Amino acid sequence: MGYVKEERPTTISVEGTWNIGSYHYKGSKLMEEYVKGLKQKKLIGSFCPGCGKVIVPPRNLCGRCHRIMDRRKIVSNRGTITCFIVTPPMEKGKLKVLGMDPVETGLIKEGEVVIPVFVKFDGSDSNTDTILLNVDPKAVHIGMRVKVLWAKEPQGALSDFEGVEPV
Amino acid sequence: MIRRVAIVGYAQSHHQHNMQKTREDMVFEVCKEALHHAGILREELDTVITASTDFLDGRTISSVFLSMAVGAFLKDESKVEEDGTFALYYALMRILAGTHDVALVEAHTQGSTFNPHQVTFYTLDPLFDRQIGVLNDIAAAALQARMYMNRYSVSEEHLAMAAVKNITNAAENPCAHRKMPDVSVEEVMSSKVFYDPIRELMMSPISDGACALILASEERAKEITDKPVWIEGVGSCQDAYLRDRNIQNLDSLQMAARTAYKMAGVKEPFSELDVAEVSEKFAHEELMIYEALGLCQEGQGKNLIERGTTRRDGEMPVNPSGGALGADPVCATGLIRVIEAAKQIRGEAGGYQVPDVRRALAHGQFGICAQKNAIFILGGNGS
Ligand SMILES: [Zn+2]
Repeated sequence: MGYVKEERPTTISVEGTWNIGSYHYKGSKLMEEYVKGLKQKKLIGSFCPGCGKVIVPPRNLCGRCHRIMDRRKIVSNRGTITCFIVTPPMEKGKLKVLGMDPVETGLIKEGEVVIPVFVKFDGSDSNTDTILLNVDPKAVHIGMRVKVLWAKEPQGALSDFEGVEPV
Repeated sequence: MIRRVAIVGYAQSHHQHNMQKTREDMVFEVCKEALHHAGILREELDTVITASTDFLDGRTISSVFLSMAVGAFLKDESKVEEDGTFALYYALMRILAGTHDVALVEAHTQGSTFNPHQVTFYTLDPLFDRQIGVLNDIAAAALQARMYMNRYSVSEEHLAMAAVKNITNAAENPCAHRKMPDVSVEEVMSSKVFYDPIRELMMSPISDGACALILASEERAKEITDKPVWIEGVGSCQDAYLRDRNIQNLDSLQMAARTAYKMAGVKEPFSELDVAEVSEKFAHEELMIYEALGLCQEGQGKNLIERGTTRRDGEMPVNPSGGALGADPVCATGLIRVIEAAKQIRGEAGGYQVPDVRRALAHGQFGICAQKNAIFILGGNGS
């Protein structure tokens, strides 16, 4: 029994992974529009003509109205924090933001905390999750005004939107 | 309801961390015991419904390996994903349809097989939230807690008090996982921070466990037992995904409860319910659940915990068994609440029995920030 990992009185523990390969999730073209918007430092949301709600990042369907959200709206890149958390101090290899280790890339220093937040951008009705940067963790509060922190040279990728920072 | 349906037997495991039983043996034992508790044979079952998730079981179509254990050999069988209360819902509908009379409902998870918190990451939107990478179920719960606490001036002490109530209740329950009879508010508040304000003792533990119950039509229930526990009302409701949802209230739970109350003829839940067993995966959810169930006004959940109203000896006991903070074998947790509520009605709750329970509520949930909820109103012969 080469696979037996540990012997116990009544059961054995057999290690097994479930590597069923990569998935190819079908994304809406909306995401393409969204990242193109990011390249121009614009936040594009989907607008529902039924209930008037604006969702950022855009989503194709409105559950309330059960219809396609076929219109777009550019919302402000300023918004309000609706809730936040402060993580314990970061270590290398603990978190992946946009597929990258923020400690390794230098976005966050080792030992610093990360502040995931929900932001309601002016003109939107959704919880946009991102991280709050360039702030004293003690000063963070619900209702805090923030703006998008754009990458220096936007590439037309999700990473163009690095996070938000206080206004 | 077009047909009366009752719970006539049940069993659950001694939930624990890393149980020394295989999944099949654990499930077999609770099913065998539930049949014994009802005093019926496997041959008398018309249908078997189970609940689990393939990710937590670590295999696809995860019920195929369990048909022997659950007593479904050469019988009608089906499985639902997620919480056991949804399996109960399904079994109830099969009996209401008139096609079956006796059902066994089973639910289980062995959290030690694969970390359930790791699985919840894969419930997030793969195109955006997963790529951003900052969210998981605990982080989302912390965001929800923060939002709720800020809106209604709820303190971390209130969360700790809710945790202490449930964890000390669990100490009386032989099936519960956490055994901390002397836990204090200070101990909860100094336990490890996962995502502020969520601390270890404000989260449900990762448990291995299973449960099973037997459901029967009125005619069969009366033949099987003198103490049937009737299903008087049911309701279920699902909220939108995180991004487009008000997470500071449990709207879908409120709607599920209203549906169930209407069916059961409950107008004043606080005075008409004798006990409630709810699936609070995090301490702040317990306060939010009080409000969604209409046990108090919006934002007043903290008052019930401050005044001790929901203690086992309080006016409206909630989770005398210890709730999900006492044990959380994920997919079984809601169905365990139904069993605990039924035990209270039948006077079988031993050291944590609430006196004179005639009508009880049980709650199951699934999804990030309790996106999906189911409610059962149960009554005894006297209700
Ligand atoms: Zn709409």
